[in-house]
Amino acid sequence: MAQLQLKGIRKTYGNAVQETLKGIDINIESGEFLILVGPSGCGKSTLMNSIAGLETVTEGSILIDGRDVTHAEPKDRDIAMVFQSYALYPTMTVRENIAFGLKIRRMPKEEIDAEVARVAKLLQIEPLLDRKPSQLSGGQQQRVAMGRALARRPKLYLFDEPLSNLDAKLRVEMRTEIKRLHQRLGTTIVYVTHDQIEAMTLADRIAVIKDGELLQLGSPKEIYERPSCRYVASFIGSPAMSFIPLKVERDGGNLRASLRSADDDQMYVPLPEKLAAYEGKEIHLGIRPEHITQPLAHKAGQEATSSGKFRIEVTEPTGPDVMALIRINDTEVHCRLDPDHTVDPGEPAELMIDLSRAIYFEAGKEARIDV
Amino acid sequence: MASHAEKKLTPSRILIYATLLLACVAYLIPVFIMIITSFKTTGDIRSGNLMSFPEVWSVDAWIKAWSSACTGVQCNGVSGFFWNSIKMAVPAVLISTALGAINGYVLAKWRFRGSDIFFSLLLFGCFLPFQVILLPMAATLGKMGLANTTTGLVIVHVVYGVAFTTLFFRNFYVGVPDALIKAARLDGAGFVTIFVRILLPMSVPIIMVCIIWQFTQIWNDFLFGVVFASGDSQPITVGLNNLVNTSTGVKEYNVDMAAAMIAALPTLVVYVLAGKYFIRGLTSGAVKG
Amino acid sequence: MAHSGVVSETTSQPARGRLTQRLQQWLPKLALAPTAAMALVGIYGFMFWTGVLSFTGSTFLPSYEFVGFDQYVRLFGNARWLTACTNLAIFGFLFIFCCLAIGCFLAILLDQRIRNEGVIRTIYLYPLALSMIVTGTVWQWILNPSLGLEKLMHDWGWTSFQFDWLTNPNMVIYTIVIAAVWQASGFVMALFLAGLRGIDPAIINAARVDGASLPRIYLRIVLPSMRPVFFSSVMVLAHIAIKSFDLVMAMTSGGPGYASDLPAMFMYSFTFTRGQMGLGAASSIMMLAMLLAILVPYLYSELRGQRNG
Repeated sequence: MAQLQLKGIRKTYGNAVQETLKGIDINIESGEFLILVGPSGCGKSTLMNSIAGLETVTEGSILIDGRDVTHAEPKDRDIAMVFQSYALYPTMTVRENIAFGLKIRRMPKEEIDAEVARVAKLLQIEPLLDRKPSQLSGGQQQRVAMGRALARRPKLYLFDEPLSNLDAKLRVEMRTEIKRLHQRLGTTIVYVTHDQIEAMTLADRIAVIKDGELLQLGSPKEIYERPSCRYVASFIGSPAMSFIPLKVERDGGNLRASLRSADDDQMYVPLPEKLAAYEGKEIHLGIRPEHITQPLAHKAGQEATSSGKFRIEVTEPTGPDVMALIRINDTEVHCRLDPDHTVDPGEPAELMIDLSRAIYFEAGKEARIDV
Repeated sequence: MASHAEKKLTPSRILIYATLLLACVAYLIPVFIMIITSFKTTGDIRSGNLMSFPEVWSVDAWIKAWSSACTGVQCNGVSGFFWNSIKMAVPAVLISTALGAINGYVLAKWRFRGSDIFFSLLLFGCFLPFQVILLPMAATLGKMGLANTTTGLVIVHVVYGVAFTTLFFRNFYVGVPDALIKAARLDGAGFVTIFVRILLPMSVPIIMVCIIWQFTQIWNDFLFGVVFASGDSQPITVGLNNLVNTSTGVKEYNVDMAAAMIAALPTLVVYVLAGKYFIRGLTSGAVKG
Repeated sequence: MAHSGVVSETTSQPARGRLTQRLQQWLPKLALAPTAAMALVGIYGFMFWTGVLSFTGSTFLPSYEFVGFDQYVRLFGNARWLTACTNLAIFGFLFIFCCLAIGCFLAILLDQRIRNEGVIRTIYLYPLALSMIVTGTVWQWILNPSLGLEKLMHDWGWTSFQFDWLTNPNMVIYTIVIAAVWQASGFVMALFLAGLRGIDPAIINAARVDGASLPRIYLRIVLPSMRPVFFSSVMVLAHIAIKSFDLVMAMTSGGPGYASDLPAMFMYSFTFTRGQMGLGAASSIMMLAMLLAILVPYLYSELRGQRNG
């Protein structure tokens, strides 16, 4: 397994004014599962293709195990890739598909056969070996595509949205499968997706990219709990984090802010002392749905929690939870309720707001206030 | 669009079928006349009419058309012209198809700065009125010592056919996902290997389209044949035209029709056997051209 | 994962690697080179050359004594050229109009879930597989004034029937229209049928739910969406009309006299049989101009349409 270093990767297409990649620096440890995530057109696929050598970078360098491969041909980088469309060679059987790269590299025939057998066993596709890709289901094609990548035993695996063509159920299955394979083989993987659940569940680390810039690089937990900026905060998590505008006030010794419900009920929440610099100013409070709930006994009375009455505007039962929409300071806010305590849309309900995980942003600014 | 009509035979549907059938008859009649006339004797033509069947079915006209009808000064039938056409069409079709495949591959999958402009410039070849290149081509072939040779004709057909074949292959290869090429490159395959091992095996349908289109075009060409060939290199269309428009002697319509049948048969056979590909070539050539 | 030496060969020889790498980069361009050369010379070079010839006094052999626009002046003073252009206008208009009308009509009928649609379509299209020379030969026979259609009608009892268009200088161009429409209308049918099949059936269903009648649906929804097909058909048919040469050659040889001459015929006979190379070149440049006059606006609207999405 190998280490991959991306140093100041910049890419500008042709005569385009806008840079597609604006200086990406990432070090990927050997055996790490790194996920590149971001909206479509953010440059994550360009970055992936650059790592593979399918596109040239305008500036910066790419090192695999310390060796500079910035200008090497794809075939000389010892990389395998799994594509969104699987990209199986349609005229070849599954066996030939897996063996193709090995044949081109002039591996002896017995070794190829052994390797195909090993991969087929690993992915449980032995019965499919003599079929053509068109005779396979989407999930089977996906396995073959992975098999083709595994057969070469490359230093680095690239996955380009490999699950997005599968239906929801199969996607979850394959997700687990990929995770299991990674745990078992300890391979270095760079994986592109726009699905934040895939990113959260699979990654050792997540790189959030937007407009060709690396916004944040960190473990799923870090990304979720300490997002570096408003964009990352809203991109990860579903339903998204709510941003509530509020005014920082001082009441006696403590900082606080007032929250006003749709029915003009007022309640006050305590704010951390680090926001003192913003006293008298408007800031935005970022809060995730799971931190606005029905009153929970074990949290009651804690310093960061407070309760108030809010009218429920819409409810969306998801099974394990009921997602509900309330209005605070004229802003729509998502909250997560317990399905056992029924609440009716239009009716007020007593809700508990837990600010211990909340984050704060200066009004109109992207970056998070460090508290 | 096909979803709204029922299959019940209502009066309006009978009318539709009748109209379609009438059109079929209209399209078929000329060839029907051509066939029955070719089996008539000269006497039959005088006594009967267009639609009357031959009194006696005779192959004399066919034999004469093939081997002894006059095509100008010579009276050897159209057989020589027929073989000329074969000798011209086969290499021209193969070469232009091969070139088209390579060009299409590059233009679809190995684009470089200027390749799109090159494609547009080449496409103009599909629309070129050939009259505008006849004189320089004739002069050039003369200089190369290829005037009035089959080789010369092959070159001409390749030069002006390659625009179409490139168009066919390029549009076909554009439809092949780029990921396939990327996967092959990561597998270590290069320019040639990707073409030979991955793309060519999937190209059978478009190769068929291309070969059939080119064969039909080249076999049916008259302009190049009449301008760039003479005597023993003239293709069948020129032979047929000479035979029909030879002013010596009495006009023998049965021989004319037999000769026309001989000229038409190869392309008709191809059409009947592989009409699907022929139609696909027609429509794709037109819509994209 | 243990590492086998699968890929080590290529990396161990950097010098050779760089060379093959450079070759790989040049291969695509190298592969296009023969075609590029052919197109450059065969299309653009020769076009230019013909353009040059049209400004010379060339007769049987090319000469490069320049005479300015003399050949063009002569061309437009030539009654035969003017007839050819008039004929092209008549022929082109009727040919395009009839092909569109018949092709579109048959396509709509054929799109009504017709049994044996494949067979019928095959019949409509087979004339396209024939050479124009064959078509011309057959129609010359059918329209033959003494033994053809006229005799057939007489035999069938319509003794006053007269049909001499093929030898009538005023009517002969229409016989060419008939033959050309017979040959090419199936093509338009195929284009329109493909277009009709490309329409989303949901749109039709929506219109039916809205209570529109079938003729109304075709008139207001289907046909308007056939615009691109219509324009590309016109384009191709106009192209065929301008290039038309074989058909006239086989049916009438431009006769009687030069009553059925088309520009392509004119170009051929002046250049290759009458030894007026300069004049022939000028006429071919005019044909190119005609083609560009249709092609350029068409491409312009196409490209603009693409840019607007």
